[in-house]
Amino acid sequence: MALKKAAKKTSAAAVPPQLLWKRDGADFLVTNDFGHYSWLKKKDFDSLLACKVGESHPLFAALSAKGFVRDRLDFDGLAAKWRKKNAYLNTGPGLHILVLTLRCNHKCLYCQAAAGGAAAKDTDMTPATARKCVDFAFNSSNPGITIEFQGGEPLLNWPALTAAVKHARARAKTAGKELKLALVSNFSLMTEEKARFLMENEVSVCTSLDGPADLHNKNRCFSGGNSHAVTLKWLKYFQKKNEAQADGYRVFKPSALLTVSRYSLSRHKEIIDEYVAAGLEDIFIRPLAPIGYARNLWGSIGYEAKDFAAFYLKSLAYILKLNRSGVVIREKMAAMMLDKIVNSRDPGYLDARCPCGAAIGQIAYNYNGDLYTCDEGRMVGWEGDDVFKVGSVFKDSYAKVMASAPTRACVVSSNLEAQPDCARCVYKPYCGVCPVYNYEVQGSLWGDMSSSDRCGLFKGIFGALFALLKKPGNEATLKKWVDK
Amino acid sequence: MPLADYDLDTVRYAAHAVSRAAHVFIKLDGRSAAAVEFTPTGPVSGKAVAASFRAELADEKLRAAIYAANRELRDFMILKALSKEETPPQAPQDDSGLTPEQEKELDALIAQVESEIKQEASAGASKDPLGITRTWEDKYGAKKSRKKN
Repeated sequence: MALKKAAKKTSAAAVPPQLLWKRDGADFLVTNDFGHYSWLKKKDFDSLLACKVGESHPLFAALSAKGFVRDRLDFDGLAAKWRKKNAYLNTGPGLHILVLTLRCNHKCLYCQAAAGGAAAKDTDMTPATARKCVDFAFNSSNPGITIEFQGGEPLLNWPALTAAVKHARARAKTAGKELKLALVSNFSLMTEEKARFLMENEVSVCTSLDGPADLHNKNRCFSGGNSHAVTLKWLKYFQKKNEAQADGYRVFKPSALLTVSRYSLSRHKEIIDEYVAAGLEDIFIRPLAPIGYARNLWGSIGYEAKDFAAFYLKSLAYILKLNRSGVVIREKMAAMMLDKIVNSRDPGYLDARCPCGAAIGQIAYNYNGDLYTCDEGRMVGWEGDDVFKVGSVFKDSYAKVMASAPTRACVVSSNLEAQPDCARCVYKPYCGVCPVYNYEVQGSLWGDMSSSDRCGLFKGIFGALFALLKKPGNEATLKKWVDK
Repeated sequence: MPLADYDLDTVRYAAHAVSRAAHVFIKLDGRSAAAVEFTPTGPVSGKAVAASFRAELADEKLRAAIYAANRELRDFMILKALSKEETPPQAPQDDSGLTPEQEKELDALIAQVESEIKQEASAGASKDPLGITRTWEDKYGAKKSRKKN
């Protein structure tokens, strides 16, 4: 009834400030553009809509501080909050992904990277191209840049990796910006010598760990040996080095990514226990996307959004249970979303930004110097469709790339205000769409969120997080994940 | 749907909310009404879809009213947030570690890139109020090269 009454009002003073809401049983979750949220009982929601949350109302202080009460808006405070939450709008791309080679010595079931065989050296980046890519990255107007080395398996192209690292470190000294270097590797070609070079140059390392040995090795086929054993060996090596540290440089903690295949769905406890046993304090639970090899094998390794959401919720509940017993571990995607929800901070998660990070937040550099909006866009290019190609380090300037048609198309199509479902969604202040996913799965950059599994996945994750935040015991634990 | 109660945009957005369960066809029915037809695509019945749609209409009408009443306020807040004066981050004061030859080489490279960008900008670049397409040096000023002690 209150909804109908409120809808009839026309005077601006008689309606609440901009807000989004969602019914959840008898309660309402409300959010606003500034990233604030509140759980309300129906009578309080009705009072909010009727602009009857006055000073005597028990929720007045809380709701007015969050920008839900029209005549108590703190313009300066809320604008500062919005600016902090959307700080990425004032900077250029911060993440620069260098694809050093398309070769890989693994054949993972879900691979999206368009990897080639280990002998196909024609897809290696040359050291000169790697340096050119670094120079291009330093043109970004972002005060801090991260150069991430990927593949294929990037350790298969050690000369390009070392050339890029040395050149980037030299450039950082004169550019006056913060530089982070990161390597994503399966560790199968790691040696003491390579590890020393990486540590001395402060390159952080990240690998894939899909759970216990049988599950990991089933997902990540490696004809050269036991992928799981190699992964654990080097994870422990870098952990020990991190604990000991060294004179003159920082040694970072290694990290790992989990890709959830259908084989993982019934094994959340074993997987999380494996991470804890490996000494990892973060687990990044990532869903499969029907791109690359995964699309061909979707019938055997894929699943529906609701299956992932159930797995994710069980995993979060188990992690919180472990936290309560003193085990330090957190789920990375939840932590990034919580950073937005709780701290109104941009955690740098480019997949959930508005507009998305394509080109304006990240650039993928193919082995030959071609530039793409993101690594997923590069994979589409490898399949023969260069719709996400934004230029080349050899031919195009930074300004031209930023103003290119694919860049602009991705920005426009990932603007949530222009997506009919997203603009009205309660999770809009924290979410983002992916034009590449839409294009690959639904045949259009815009996509259709009502039938998008990615949207279903994100809604499942947000739903799980807000449900957990509603319970005071969980809320305190979850807030600790992002209190730094 | 009488258009006096729900305008076409409201009907369309409410239709989006149920379009996971059904294809929705919206047609004008004369000048004062819209006809909405549902073709279920899954197990949910047409009746159930229609009921969800009606429930969404009330929400959607309210959303539209709130949005319209707050448009100027939102514009003001976002402009206020975006227009705050930017200050460049302080560059680290440590030594560059490069030889004079390397410094020269880098300065030449940077000058070349700046020149290319300026040429393109003068050729008619699109509007860029946030400076996304500007290089680091254009935005915050070129850093003077430092000699090694």
